[in-house]
Order: sequence, then structure tokens, then C-alpha cells
Amino acid sequence: MTERGTSHAISVTVNGERVSRVVSARQLLVHFLRDTLGLTGTHIGCDTGNCGACTVVVDGKLVKSCMLLAPQADGGTVETVESLAADGQLSDLQRAFNEHHALQCGYCTPGMLMSATYLLRQNPDPSADDVRRAIRGNVCRCTGYVNIVEAIRSAGSAGKATLATGSAEEV
Amino acid sequence: MLLEQVEYVRPTSLEEALAVLTEVDGAAPLAGGQSLVNVLKNRVASVDLLVDISRLSELRSITRSPDGGLDVGACVTYDELDRSPEVREVHFTLGDVAAHIEDQQIRNKGTIGGNCCLSDPTNNLPPILAALDAVMSLRSASASRRVPAAEFFKGYFATALEPGELLVSVTVPPMPARSGAGYASLHVAADAKAMARAAAWVQLDAGEQTIAATRVVLARMASVPVRDAGVEARLAGAEAGEAAVRDACAVAAEGLRPIDDVHGSSDYRREMAKVMARRAVMQAIDQARGGGDGAERTRRGGRG
Ligand SMILES: Cc1cc2nc3c(=O)[nH]c(=O)nc-3n(C[C@H](O)[C@H](O)[C@H](O)COP(=O)(O)OP(=O)(O)OC[C@H]3O[C@@H](n4cnc5c(N)ncnc54)[C@H](O)[C@@H]3O)c2cc1C
Ligand code: FES
Ligand code: FES
Repeated sequence: MTERGTSHAISVTVNGERVSRVVSARQLLVHFLRDTLGLTGTHIGCDTGNCGACTVVVDGKLVKSCMLLAPQADGGTVETVESLAADGQLSDLQRAFNEHHALQCGYCTPGMLMSATYLLRQNPDPSADDVRRAIRGNVCRCTGYVNIVEAIRSAGSAGKATLATGSAEEV
Repeated sequence: MLLEQVEYVRPTSLEEALAVLTEVDGAAPLAGGQSLVNVLKNRVASVDLLVDISRLSELRSITRSPDGGLDVGACVTYDELDRSPEVREVHFTLGDVAAHIEDQQIRNKGTIGGNCCLSDPTNNLPPILAALDAVMSLRSASASRRVPAAEFFKGYFATALEPGELLVSVTVPPMPARSGAGYASLHVAADAKAMARAAAWVQLDAGEQTIAATRVVLARMASVPVRDAGVEARLAGAEAGEAAVRDACAVAAEGLRPIDDVHGSSDYRREMAKVMARRAVMQAIDQARGGGDGAERTRRGGRG
């Protein structure tokens, strides 16, 4: 049994790096990421589990980090939007968002990118319906979603194949 | 948001969890946290100690029971129900209901146990579990007992659980030959709470032309899911077709007073209960004949 208390020493692998900190039991994971670790890519929109701006991957599962306490992540792994651009190079998915104009204010984007990453890991060639279902928990007040769906599809394997062969066909 | 000061503990066995829950006043189990964390943010209930049960292996498995039914651990998530071949094979509709709860993030954390123990009348799983005649297994540090789903839900946010007790698993009986389940909800918008909902289980007679047995459960018509005895009586022996089912469901929700609010009046909700009941029963009949999802069962292991 972990020791019972209002503060806990936790160890978490965040974006591949092991970090150990003492956290308050009442600290939300999103605050641990933003305030304790300075990873401000993960946003807070609603703080009620409705908007998805705080979406990250914990132990391989897509979750909303405002709906988890920091000690619940103890011993596990967390992936945030900061993990996507390796060595400062945008990933294919991030470039697709740029190319398809899939963001305007950008507030929802980190969460959208994490939901899309999770989808593409499970389903490398999603249909438009698959994408819509996968981002159901992510609210965007700006774009109307159409370009987001196109961006995510184009980052899938079919989209990449189209790019590679130079075909101008609509994805 | 800053929560009120709270203690946290993560027991490594069910026994430890039950002991802590019994010993500490103000202790509450934390499962998926998809309701409890919001409750803590809103400070509508005060909890002194969160007992994290979400990783307990005793509560995390789905197994086929000896009679061919399912034993689902309380901390199995909606996503795990959705993706479980065992669940899809025996109770396709249960997997399908889980697959449509809110969104991927919530399905990855929310648990069957939390969904039932909260007893929120808008939650998706209680009505289907009642229609499937599921049994809840409860344990405290000193005793175990089994409570049928129909008696587990007591009212708004109230269940049969006593202090110190945990829901450990949900047993769903096997789907007999020539039977099937259905589920239908009415939402103002795709992500709004259901205004009217019905879940049904139907068994056809040997010729598959008439209805031999049913359970029809309405949700959102009262604080807990309710069996509709009037509809069930009219369905018994009725022809398994649209006209007879429509006729039987015309008495749905009689005598019930669902809430009135901005989304719809009480009368409108009651009217919609008839439609939801009809759709759920028609789906169940279709599945009983091996249609749609019932085929999954037929393909894998015959009609029993
Ligand atoms: C924005 C949003 C929308 C949602 N919409 C829906 C919806 O439309 N339909 C739907 O069905 N769900 C919905 N959910 C999810 C659902 O509300 C929760 O997942 C569920 O009510 C609680 O399950 P949990 O595992 O997260 O439990 P928790 O939040 O951890 O616990 C809920 C309550 O049950 C108690 N508890 C948990 N497990 C046990 C146990 N094994 N034994 C005894 N007590 C226990 C806890 O102490 C607590 O009081 C939504 C969630 C969010 C955030
Ligand atoms: S901030 Fe977490 S879902 Fe909106
Ligand atoms: S780009 Fe502004 S909220 Fe999505």
C-alpha cells in the first residue's frame, strides 16, 4: 500500500524522462504538468472533463488530465504534446495541421493532436467517421472541425501514400 | 482548480482496500474518477481519504462464468467492455452501450463499477444491466452479498451499498437461445444527457414468431431505472412484429412522472418513452433472430 497522506512522492516518466516530485494528493495531473514541470503545452479549457484541451496519454491511454490526480499517475508514463516534435522538427501530424489550416486560435490544438496521435496508433488509416468519433471529446470553437478531420486523415497512411506518389487526388 | 485538502492511498489488495474503507470515516473509493474528481472540484461532497481501487487486479478482469454468462470486475473500463471479445460474444449490446459513452478519454478511465455506484439517472449502464438481469456482488471487510441490479439502484445518487462496502463485480447471466437485447436513447444533441431511454431483453418462442418473455426497463422516467410491467404484460405472447410491439409500448411510462425542464416537458418525455421502448424491443427481437449483432453469437457458439 502507498503511504496514506495529503502529499506523496511520485515518480513518473514524462515524455521519456523520469521525474520524481513530491505532490499534493489534491493536485490535478494537468497542474502537475503545467505548474510543477512547466509543460504548458497541455491546456486547461473547462476543468470539468468536457472540452478535451487537457488531453494527454497516460500509460498508453488517452485521458483528460484535469480528471486525474497527480498521484494516480505514479509509476506510469505520460505523453504530452511536447513529445510530438522530435528534435524540434514538427511531426507529420503537426505539419498536416499546419498545411490544412486545422487551427485558428490554437487553444484546442494540443488536445486534438494527442487524440489524433492515439487514433493513428490504433488505426493508421482512419475514415472521416473514425476521425470524428476519435475527436468527439475535443471541442474546437474556431475551425468547425472540417480542416481538422482532413489534417488527421492526411497524416494517416493513405494520406501519406497520396503525398508520396504526388497524386493530387482529394483525400 | 484547487481541490479541498484530501488524503490519498493506493492499496495493493482488495483486503487492504476494504480494511481502510471500514476503518477510516470519510473514506471513499476512487475508481475512474470521471465523476468523483468533478464532485471534489465542486466541493459538493467532502471526502477525507480517497482510496484508489482502480489498479486492483481483483477488480480488473472479465471472465466467462461457468454457466456461460459474464463476470465483470468493478474496475473494468468502458473501453475494455467495448473491446472485449467475451463481452461482444455474449452480450453485444452491453459492449455497444459502453462504446457510446461520451468520448474516448472518458471511456479509457470510467468504470462499470463507478457508473453503477454513482447512480446518476443519466448514466448509460444501469438500465441495460437491469434489462439483462445482472447481479451486483458487494463486499465489506466482514461479509459478501449479491444484490440484483433491479434492487441495487435506490434513488438519485443512492444505491444499496452500505458504508465500507465495495461493488466488486457485476455478473451478467448468459443470453439464452432465441433471445436478444436492445437499447435506445433520445438526446437533444449528440453529447447531451439522455431525456428518455429504454433497454429491453426479449426471448422468442420456438417458432420465433411470438414473444415468450421480456424485460423492458425505462430510464429518465424516475430517479432509477424501472421495469415497465404494463408493457411487459402486453408483450407476453404478442406477435414479434412492429405493429404488436408499437401497440404494447403505447402504455409505456404510464403512472410515471418524469422531470420537466428546459429540454422537455414531463409529458413529452413520457411520450418519447413509448418510442424508445418500441425501438429497444424491436432491436432485441432482431438480435434474438440472429440479426445484426446476434449473429456474432450464432457464428461463435450456436444460438445458446
Ligand atoms: C463530461 C463527462 C460526461 C459524461 N457523460 C456520461 C454519460 O452521458 N453517460 C454515462 O454513463 N457516463 C458519463 N460520464 C462518465 C461517468 O459519469 C463516470 O465515469 C461514472 O459516473 C463514474 O465512474 P468512474 O469509474 O469514473 O467512478 P468515480 O468517479 O471514481 O466514482 C463515482 C462514485 O462511485 C463510487 N465508486 C466507484 N467505484 C466503486 C466501487 N467499485 N464500489 C463502491 N463505490 C464505488 C465512488 O466513491 C464515487 O462516489 C461522463 C463523464 C464526464 C466527465
Ligand atoms: S480542461 Fe480538461 S477537459 Fe476541459
Ligand atoms: S483553433 Fe481555436 S479552439 Fe480550436
